[in-house]
Amino acid sequence: MKVGIPKEIKAGERRVAATPKTVKRLLKQGFDVIVESNAGEKANITDDDFKTAGADIAANAGEVYQISDIILKVQAVDESEIAMMKSGQVVLSYLFPAQNMDLLEKLAAKGINAVAMDAIPRISRAQKMDVLSSMANIAGYRSVIEAANYFGRFLNGQITAAGKVEPAKVLVIGAGVAGLAAIGTAKSLGAIVRAFDTRSEVEEQIQSMGAQFLTVEIEEDGSTSSGYSKVMSKEFIEAEMKLFKEQAEEIDIIITTAQIPGRDAPKLILDYHVAAMKPGSVIVDLAASSGGNCVLTKNDEVITTDNGVVIVGKLDQLPSQASQLYGNNLCHLLDDMGKAENFQIDMNDDVVKRAMVTHDGKINWPPEPLPVSPQKPKVDPVELEVTKAEDEAATKRKQSRRTTIVLALIAIFMFLLAKVAPPEFMGHFTVFVLAVFVGWQVIWNVSHSLHTPLMAVTNAISGIIIIGGLLQTQNDWSNPMTIIAFVAILVASINIVGGFLVTHRMLKMFRK
Amino acid sequence: MISGQIQTAAYLFASILFILSLGGLSSQESAKKGVIYGIIGMAIAILSTVLGEGVHGHIYIVVAIAVASVIGILVARRVEMTSMPQLVAILHSFVGLAAVLVGFGSYLDPHTQELSETNRNIHLVEVFIGVFIGAITFTGSIIAWGKLEGKIRSKPLLYPGRHIINLGLVAVCIVMAVMFVQAAGIAGMPYLYIMTAIACFIGIMLVMAIGGADMPVVVSMLNSYSGWAAAAAGFMLGNDLLIVTGALVGSSGAILSIIMCDAMNRSFWSVIFGGFGDSPSASAKEVTGHVTSTDHEEVAEMLKNANSVVIVPGYGMAVAKAQYPIFEMVENLRNKGKEVRFGIHPVAGRLPGHMNVLLAEANVPYDIVLEMDEINDDLPDTDVVLVIGANDIVNPGAQDDESSPIYGMPVLEVWNSEDVVVMKRSMATGYAGVQNPLFFKDNTSMLYGDAKDSVLKINTFLNS
Repeated sequence: MKVGIPKEIKAGERRVAATPKTVKRLLKQGFDVIVESNAGEKANITDDDFKTAGADIAANAGEVYQISDIILKVQAVDESEIAMMKSGQVVLSYLFPAQNMDLLEKLAAKGINAVAMDAIPRISRAQKMDVLSSMANIAGYRSVIEAANYFGRFLNGQITAAGKVEPAKVLVIGAGVAGLAAIGTAKSLGAIVRAFDTRSEVEEQIQSMGAQFLTVEIEEDGSTSSGYSKVMSKEFIEAEMKLFKEQAEEIDIIITTAQIPGRDAPKLILDYHVAAMKPGSVIVDLAASSGGNCVLTKNDEVITTDNGVVIVGKLDQLPSQASQLYGNNLCHLLDDMGKAENFQIDMNDDVVKRAMVTHDGKINWPPEPLPVSPQKPKVDPVELEVTKAEDEAATKRKQSRRTTIVLALIAIFMFLLAKVAPPEFMGHFTVFVLAVFVGWQVIWNVSHSLHTPLMAVTNAISGIIIIGGLLQTQNDWSNPMTIIAFVAILVASINIVGGFLVTHRMLKMFRK
Repeated sequence: MISGQIQTAAYLFASILFILSLGGLSSQESAKKGVIYGIIGMAIAILSTVLGEGVHGHIYIVVAIAVASVIGILVARRVEMTSMPQLVAILHSFVGLAAVLVGFGSYLDPHTQELSETNRNIHLVEVFIGVFIGAITFTGSIIAWGKLEGKIRSKPLLYPGRHIINLGLVAVCIVMAVMFVQAAGIAGMPYLYIMTAIACFIGIMLVMAIGGADMPVVVSMLNSYSGWAAAAAGFMLGNDLLIVTGALVGSSGAILSIIMCDAMNRSFWSVIFGGFGDSPSASAKEVTGHVTSTDHEEVAEMLKNANSVVIVPGYGMAVAKAQYPIFEMVENLRNKGKEVRFGIHPVAGRLPGHMNVLLAEANVPYDIVLEMDEINDDLPDTDVVLVIGANDIVNPGAQDDESSPIYGMPVLEVWNSEDVVVMKRSMATGYAGVQNPLFFKDNTSMLYGDAKDSVLKINTFLNS
């Protein structure tokens, strides 16, 4: 089977759907790989790099589309590219099916099987194929770098001879993959980070990254079963706006990442918020391409407001990094679909049936909702502590009861024994009991790693039973006692000699 | 001829040396001295006995010891560490056999007949008990050897009503005891023979009813019995050294049994009397999902990029004789500056402490071989865990699947680390017969094939 990677034709797109490393993986999966000439140019990958990795180079896009069975792309194919494709081909790319129904119709009409990488369900099994996550991770990181670029001060606090430098205060709105990546990057650069999200389940994640979780008084959980957030109530939104106004007066950098699938991004930062910010503040709006979280954001532009606030509506794609991760996501999906040898489109597979938006001439959108991996029911930690304490107390009581009973039985046994046994026996019995106690104490101290040598040594010293044989041997062979004793001495000695020798052999092996 | 007083003093000194010998095993450094103490103690005991009064037939004694020494030396030199459990089992059976023989000998001994009524009764009871324990130890250990060597099937032999039958047999033995004690002279021999036969049978059935997975417990249990048999012989002969030594060995075996049972989270009684688990057909929750497989080159990459590695070996590693290439891998990684440690589960292997010896044999330094309790806390900070030839001891079902037969058993929590690589020959289940959810986790990959081959291949990639 052949996999083809054409050059991206959308203006401004610098990524490519494969890198030399992913080409190697595809070859290992059994595919033949063909890459359009200069496809990787804007991501700093040359044709030679691809050739060394084992790919063929096609002179133009037409050649790629003509001979490939599977097409890998970043941006969706447009009309001109569809014209070069043939029925039965599979294409993997971003598609945004909800916003591009007419494109889906064109693809279906031509019999092309299109996979929308942005429609891959957010389940744990599909994490390795999730391009939204891998790209959001890059965006989150980059947002902080760009913010620091436009921001006029250090991000970290310092005490220098020339004076004290206050750390920057960063507010991250939306704690999804991009938000968490932004939090992490900002923290590592030394800023004070606060984060807000309508979903209460992310509080723990935010705090684990060292940021402060901001919340409003209203008790409303914005999480839905799909893991995305939902549209909040009017009261909640009012409280949210009030919180942001308070924050705007203090915060130096705002990074917003709030998106709702299939709709325009929610407007969270209104004009009066921006007006309240200090001059020199920066807002990086990661939702710029779907309308922006800030009303003043201009997609693909960086603007400065009248009061000196920089609003960043475009971000460097980090094309080399992004191409690598995106390419990996594609490889994982192809791996899941059977690699070259067993490639098949299994519409019963949870991932394929949601991401394969056109199949066999039919449109497969929208899909049924899929819940994220089920969460464990939350147990109140306080309750848990109480039950645990009760259990422990009950076990202790049972144990002390048992000990009392056992001691009582032992006492009765001793008494009865004293009545029937001759004094000599009691003497031996005393020795026996004391020896058991000594043995108990001594053996518990034996290092676990030496338990096998312990068994060997005890084998050896239990050969002490040789004494019985020694005492019973008689002078002549015809006496049965002699024969019995002979055998007893024989086997006991094997224990002694063999036991000590093998113990010694084992102990010699241990070295530091 | 040395006097009885000197003999007693010598026996006391030997007891002290034996106690010190066992105490020496608290650390690797003091252990070697401990063995020396044991040898000296044994030598003193034997010499002072032979040189005492009332000992005859010195020539037979010397011949027996000489022949046995040759056998003992040959066996100790040649035995493979993987066969240690079998050797230990055989040595247990010898103690049992010796106890039985000494018991018979004591009964035949004319001195017995000269004892007063009460003394004779007590003495005969001691003989009876000594032979009883000895016989069970003797045959039980032979069956244990058979199971360990693979000559007897590892599945437990359970039949309905076996508890009643065993109890019945013990009751018969008690009846025999009464008749034995009441018989005059040596007329009680037949009763002794019958009891011995029954006890041998009980010993066989006892161990046949235990599954191969529980062998560490069984061997420890028989270790304990061999001690009690020796102690009983000590009562029989009125010899305190035998009693003390027997008690030491008995406690040792008992402690090891307890440790093994705790490590499997099963009660001692259920192991001895129940076979494996309360419901032999218990099955865990169905495990579904994807199993990711990997190859040697990828694993080598993972290891190259890791800072901390933990290796969890199971008995399968020993069977594949993979510990030698593993040592090379460990050296290789440590030279590259990585932290490499081993995590040993208490019941890994067929004997307590078995894995430690196998690793020591491969020259692995003992300070990087850690117990489960010591390493579990460090697993979340570990980058790569290699699970080699182990299954049930890394099964998360033991913690969260209440229907699993191994629920409650302490396990090595390898899934908490960054990545897990499981080396297995196939997806077959372990002793517990349950699938392992660990294999289906996202951060686990399977490396199929023979452990030794796999490690050798990984080593080549690590060197490239």
